[in-house]
Amino acid sequence: MSDDDIRAEVRAWLAENYDPALDRGEWSRRVFDAGWSAPSWEPQWGGRGLTERHSRVVAEEFIAVGARGSGMDRSDLLACTLHDLGTEEQKQRLIPPSVRGETRWCLLYSEPGAGSDLAGLRTRADRDGDDWVVSGQKVWTSFAKTADYGLLVARTDWNVPKHKGIGFFIFPMRQPGVEVRPIHQITGESEFNEVFITDARVPHANLVGEPGGGWAVLQLALAYERRLMGDLARTSRASRDLKPDADSLIGMARSAGKLADSFVRQEIARVESYAAVNRWNTQRAKATTDRVESATLMALGKIAMSRILHETARVQTEIVGPESMLTGPDNPLGDAVTFRTLNAYFTSIGGGTDQIQRNIVGERILGLPKEPEPFKDTAFRDLPTGS
Amino acid sequence: MCDGRLTGMSTALTPEHIALRDAVGDLLAKRAGESEVRRLMTEDSGYDADLWSELAAMGVLGLTIPEEFGGAGAGSAELAVVSEQMGAALLCAPYLSTAVLTPYLLATLDDSAECTRILPRIAAGELVATVAFAEAGDTRPPQHPATEATRVADRSWALSGEKTYVLDAPAAELFYILAQTPTGAAFFAVDRSAVSVAPLATVDQTRKQGRVVLDGTPGRLVGSVGTARPALETALDRAGIALIAEQAGGAMKTMQMAADYARTRFQFGRAIGSFQAVKHMCVDILLEAQSAVSAARHVAAAFDAGEPDRHIDLALAQAYCSEAYVTAAATNIQVHGGIGFTWEHPAHLYLRRARTDAQIFGDPAWHRERYVRLRENFLVEEMS
Repeated sequence: MSDDDIRAEVRAWLAENYDPALDRGEWSRRVFDAGWSAPSWEPQWGGRGLTERHSRVVAEEFIAVGARGSGMDRSDLLACTLHDLGTEEQKQRLIPPSVRGETRWCLLYSEPGAGSDLAGLRTRADRDGDDWVVSGQKVWTSFAKTADYGLLVARTDWNVPKHKGIGFFIFPMRQPGVEVRPIHQITGESEFNEVFITDARVPHANLVGEPGGGWAVLQLALAYERRLMGDLARTSRASRDLKPDADSLIGMARSAGKLADSFVRQEIARVESYAAVNRWNTQRAKATTDRVESATLMALGKIAMSRILHETARVQTEIVGPESMLTGPDNPLGDAVTFRTLNAYFTSIGGGTDQIQRNIVGERILGLPKEPEPFKDTAFRDLPTGS
Repeated sequence: MCDGRLTGMSTALTPEHIALRDAVGDLLAKRAGESEVRRLMTEDSGYDADLWSELAAMGVLGLTIPEEFGGAGAGSAELAVVSEQMGAALLCAPYLSTAVLTPYLLATLDDSAECTRILPRIAAGELVATVAFAEAGDTRPPQHPATEATRVADRSWALSGEKTYVLDAPAAELFYILAQTPTGAAFFAVDRSAVSVAPLATVDQTRKQGRVVLDGTPGRLVGSVGTARPALETALDRAGIALIAEQAGGAMKTMQMAADYARTRFQFGRAIGSFQAVKHMCVDILLEAQSAVSAARHVAAAFDAGEPDRHIDLALAQAYCSEAYVTAAATNIQVHGGIGFTWEHPAHLYLRRARTDAQIFGDPAWHRERYVRLRENFLVEEMS
């Protein structure tokens, strides 16, 4: 079957079935039953056994008509993780409602004391009969208020080295002992939350993998998350065309009367070259059949994007000048460049800092050795903490 | 900027590209290693005649020459594949001048008699030719050349003036000289025997340059008066693709050198690449080098597909690849530490080449200014 065959089939189905006025639940059920929710999976999980490539074609067609509900085999991280590593019972109980959008999830990974060193997490999970009792603090969680489940990593064993004593849970969010507080970010927004967990419970049936095997499950969940971030970055870039855009650097410089300034012109070209080569890297990654070449280029995308965002904000600041000191509705340009300057850290810190990403690329792509790990065999409870 | 969605262009290497890459790469690995580079650096001609013949026999010298003139009529994508290998090897040969710039210029000047006379000899490796366009102080073509041509008879002219930064001038047997006539600029073919050529003292000895002095020198008009400037611009753009691919190949090579050294050099009881300070330098070079490769391949594909905004992309890529190569080559020296500061280590040869490549077809600032100028025009056209 070719890309075009699939495209034609999904288009025909959408033409016949899609109605924006339809109740969201009813629509999700139809998409699920037709096997378009997670097209690369088996029918019982809302799929129809397509290749990953064809699954992306289906998702593109849904997006093109503004229909929700496809692409869950890439965007539903709870379902993706369980699809690979859940028990049959977990899959049947948790995947269909998640893929249909009837339940929502969030991520409970980072902690105030476990950022770059995620395996240093200190949220504890202690076995109590058929449940685990969880206490600790998680941070940088989007959608925590609306989530039914959290993908949670917590320490199940303090007497083994840090990577070996972690459990991975599908943790029920709507219970006493779970308190969500928004984080006030440097941009002024509150997109993320802190989640305080005090003696909350998660059934043993929601443990994914073995009690000390959570680190490996997490690696898979993180790989799916990185793939999703890549998808999102690609769709947002693909939708960007060269057009007379007041928001472009050239348009901005023209409005500010600085387009004749050769320094500004040089800076604009320099920062736009960063954006251009990043697009060309992405195109090359998609076009090549060489897996190493493609993996190399994708791994560099995050570092490249950080540079683009920070440098774009810097050049916009050069263009805007003194208004960059001011904020509020009377100073929309100043407001915007300050927002972009601060929001650039979302990319260079979020999802692992650029420095951690450079370690990963250096080690996995260039084959450079890791830093020595003096505490590799030390029980977690004996690790130095610095406090 | 184009991403080829309209034309279905692809930047992926085809099996034919890979075969070409490997054939050229193998030949250069065998015949143009570091000792050969160092030998040719000290010689005036700056290239090895036997290797030149082998490149001709492989079809590499005639790669971009149209089939009717004895070449392969290949596109920019193939040229980029070959140029990456040459850049990585620091090949000492008049490839860019003779096999790239000259054929593109002659094809664009649309002088079929000259093409018939010259291009088959270039493809066969029998002639080293170059284009002399720049004058003192600027590597880009002068708006009004100070070099003047006076008509003697029909297509026969007398040239006076000085050309400089002439690529491969010491080895060239034939020069195409940009000169001003009373009715506009034109190109004139001048034989080596008729001019005085002074080699320039170049920082990069792997790429020879010279100054050409003309004093009533006889020249043969090529093409017609008034078409020289646009033809040269076109030829420099096409040759610019070879240059950015060379830069990308050189950057990739310095990235590999840095990573290899960081893996194998031990200090403090561990490989220096295990230190984040060194590891991160290597990753920064990787980003520059890979981005340069993507840029070169994208622009080559965009020219082959005739994308409408290919010149915008080229301008950006020429600025980017120039600086990426310099950064990669410079950082490679830093990663190597003390050994990288020695003449015997090849790291500095790449920095010398990178700094030269960042000038020969215009410096990065020139290309950035061109980019913004083209973008302004593009925006105006889109709005109208």
